[in-house]
Amino acid sequence: MTKRTAITVAWVACFLLFAALPFLIGRYQINLLTEIIIFALFGVTYNLLLGYGGMLSFGHAMFFGIGAYTAGILLTSVTGTPFWAVVVCAFGLTALAGFLVGSLLLKVKGTPFALLTLAFNSLFFAIAFKWYAVTGGDDGLSVKRPNIDLGFWTLNTSDVSTFYYITLVVLCAAILACWYFTRTAMGQTVLLMRENENRMQFIGYNTAVSRLILFTFTACFAGLAGAFYTLHFRFVSVDAISVNMTTMVLLLTFIGGTGHFAGPLLGSAFYIYLQDYLSEYTDRWPFFMGLIFIVMVMYAPGGVSGIIASSANWLRERFRSSNRGIEGT
Amino acid sequence: MEQIFVFFLHGLAYAGLLFLVSSGLTLVFGMMDVLNFAHASFYMLGAYFSYMVLMMTGHLWLSMLICPILLFVIGALVERFLLRKVHSGGHVHELLLTFGLAYILGESVKWIWGNYPLSITIGGFLSESINLFGVTYPVYRLFVLLSSICVGIAMALILYKTRLGIIIRAAVNDRTMVNALGINVPLVFMGVFGFGAALSGLGGVIAGPFLTTSPSMADDILINAFVVIVVGGMGSLLGTVAASLLIGELQSFGVLLFPKFSMALIFLLMAVVLVVKPSGLFGVEQS
Amino acid sequence: MSLLAVKQVYKDFNGLEVLTGVDLDVRAKKRHAIIGPNGAGKTTLFNIISGRFKASRGYIAFKDNNIGSLSPHARNRLGMCRSFQITNVFHNLSVFVNVQAGVRCSQGLRYNLFKRPENMRAVNRRTEAILEKIGLIDERDIPAGELSYGQQRALEIGITLSTDPELILMDEPTAGMTREETEQAIDLIDVATADRTLLIIEHDMNVIFSLADTISVLHHGTILASDTPEAIRNDQRVKDAYLGEDD
Repeated sequence: MTKRTAITVAWVACFLLFAALPFLIGRYQINLLTEIIIFALFGVTYNLLLGYGGMLSFGHAMFFGIGAYTAGILLTSVTGTPFWAVVVCAFGLTALAGFLVGSLLLKVKGTPFALLTLAFNSLFFAIAFKWYAVTGGDDGLSVKRPNIDLGFWTLNTSDVSTFYYITLVVLCAAILACWYFTRTAMGQTVLLMRENENRMQFIGYNTAVSRLILFTFTACFAGLAGAFYTLHFRFVSVDAISVNMTTMVLLLTFIGGTGHFAGPLLGSAFYIYLQDYLSEYTDRWPFFMGLIFIVMVMYAPGGVSGIIASSANWLRERFRSSNRGIEGT
Repeated sequence: MEQIFVFFLHGLAYAGLLFLVSSGLTLVFGMMDVLNFAHASFYMLGAYFSYMVLMMTGHLWLSMLICPILLFVIGALVERFLLRKVHSGGHVHELLLTFGLAYILGESVKWIWGNYPLSITIGGFLSESINLFGVTYPVYRLFVLLSSICVGIAMALILYKTRLGIIIRAAVNDRTMVNALGINVPLVFMGVFGFGAALSGLGGVIAGPFLTTSPSMADDILINAFVVIVVGGMGSLLGTVAASLLIGELQSFGVLLFPKFSMALIFLLMAVVLVVKPSGLFGVEQS
Repeated sequence: MSLLAVKQVYKDFNGLEVLTGVDLDVRAKKRHAIIGPNGAGKTTLFNIISGRFKASRGYIAFKDNNIGSLSPHARNRLGMCRSFQITNVFHNLSVFVNVQAGVRCSQGLRYNLFKRPENMRAVNRRTEAILEKIGLIDERDIPAGELSYGQQRALEIGITLSTDPELILMDEPTAGMTREETEQAIDLIDVATADRTLLIIEHDMNVIFSLADTISVLHHGTILASDTPEAIRNDQRVKDAYLGEDD
């Protein structure tokens, strides 16, 4: 068995395990898993920017929030909006937002980029906060999940397991699309951008176009995650578009590890479970999350996936050297 | 007319505060190329420490003396034991570290002092109002303006008239050259970082009685301080003065004229500056 | 015919005049070298031709197109590619990917969201051919940053060839190389630029005289002389410029 098939088998097994879980665990745990999948997609899109493209954004929540609000507003003000329309509109609108914001940020890199994304995020936050008539301001919007009518069969989305399966299928497909993105010509171009944007221009790449494609791509998938966030909690408020949401995705992505595609998936599970566990004991759980983050930045910048990868390497080396020892005797 | 004058004064007072916070931020950025996300957290700590000192002693001048010293020590420790350790990891790690620190400091403040605003009141002459060119105006806001002018002048004197100032300015302009001169650069970095924290803390002490002291005060000023250093030009002290005034007044008149969009005005200004002159009003063009 | 024509190009950096009216005429399929003392403005001229800087004044034509206002990538797509004096590669990516990037780009597969690079047969065949040519085929999977200095210089040439340019601009390709590496590099450049046009900056006179058809001498921001190697060798003004300024 080659390494590649082994990895594919591992992913399929992982997916099947997730598919089987609702039969084994309770409602509360299923809700947690749904949340993990939503933030895993959000984290994966963030990592495409940070880990693959080398762009540190402090404003990724604006796209998550736009997706979340699109879903919230459609479901409260347009009666009878079908499920798929919510998802498609959220995806399309955030793609547009990503394209517009991205075109304003073409020329800025590094620290100014980080700053301006933060500024844009604050601007969108201010809009969501002040535009009470549409967004409900601080009170937020409560929504009902629409059922999915397949013609021959209606999926009852109020059922926890059913909604979990919908999330699993749709968002895992999205994560798969992100993974495929990293394998395409464009994905390779993103790596060139991280490594040496200057040189790229002299071999014929328009770096403005590359950045814009990456920014729009990550934005619309973040918006998809945002739409599912609203559907999952049946509620959306300024939290979804706040700088705290950016902080959350930054923390979970970094803790999971920016060096591997699977980093944010691990990070999401780690973050949500730890938050769930800690919040039973203290309201100040973000403090511990921040502490873990700082320790990671200082001592394990590769995150959890980096730790796993290097310990796997270490074990392999040991195994190999002990084998050699046996042959030697 | 009177109202315009009052709002103009409000703008000046807020500009003074912004200057105290952003000048340290811009010095640290110019010198170490690190955008310090925790800078506004030092400002918040200043306000909370001042609250404690005022509770115990009731003297504002005492708190204006003690709190900056405390924050200098905290800032220097942060540079020495946290920031310096991740320096080899590059800018992204430094940025992330200060970001994490801001997050932790914010949570600590909520933990220790509670997640609600505290009110700081001071008595005596500072809490009164005086008649200034025909309008009644609170003395405290004038005091804020006066203090920041004093600090600004003191900073200018240190930076332009002393040997230490020459070293700092040289380090802001060209780090490698100063290294070559045989100056203990890590020590200078530690000092400047601590000094920036102290200035920010002083801003917090002064802000306490006039804005609300709450866990969100750091985030509130951080964005404005970032806009100040972007508009003024990163690393430029003169730019910081100009941009602080601009944004202070914009904020003040924005609230008067377009109460809903005062925030948007500031971003609009930043966007215009970035399009017209990406390096900021007083920034040096990078090739 | 003339492939690249530079006419009366001026460049100043905040008042510091680096180029003061450069004229250059690079003929198709010829090898043209630019020599000149340090600080004469050779690299600045390259930066202006390749689009890194804009000229303060003057006219640049490539294949009869006025390219003075085009960005670097647009100039590249017209058929020119440059190398850098200070090695400028994609450090954490494999040698193969370093070269493949340019090949892919020249075939219009820059931002494709569906095709995977490993399935691009024609691209990969060409990439392998270039790697063979520059002698890095065995190092194809090693990150570029882990190559030796000489190998990185070879890769630099490989990247420059990758977009299949008509005009190749080389900025001191042998800088910092040992004697032996330089010999190899000359052979490599000789083979790689056959049937193409080369504009090269060099300090090493051996390289110049074994490669160039035409030599231009850049001195104090202007072209002092432009002629065959033999004529340049005997030119009194050139001798004065070199003897007067350089050791």
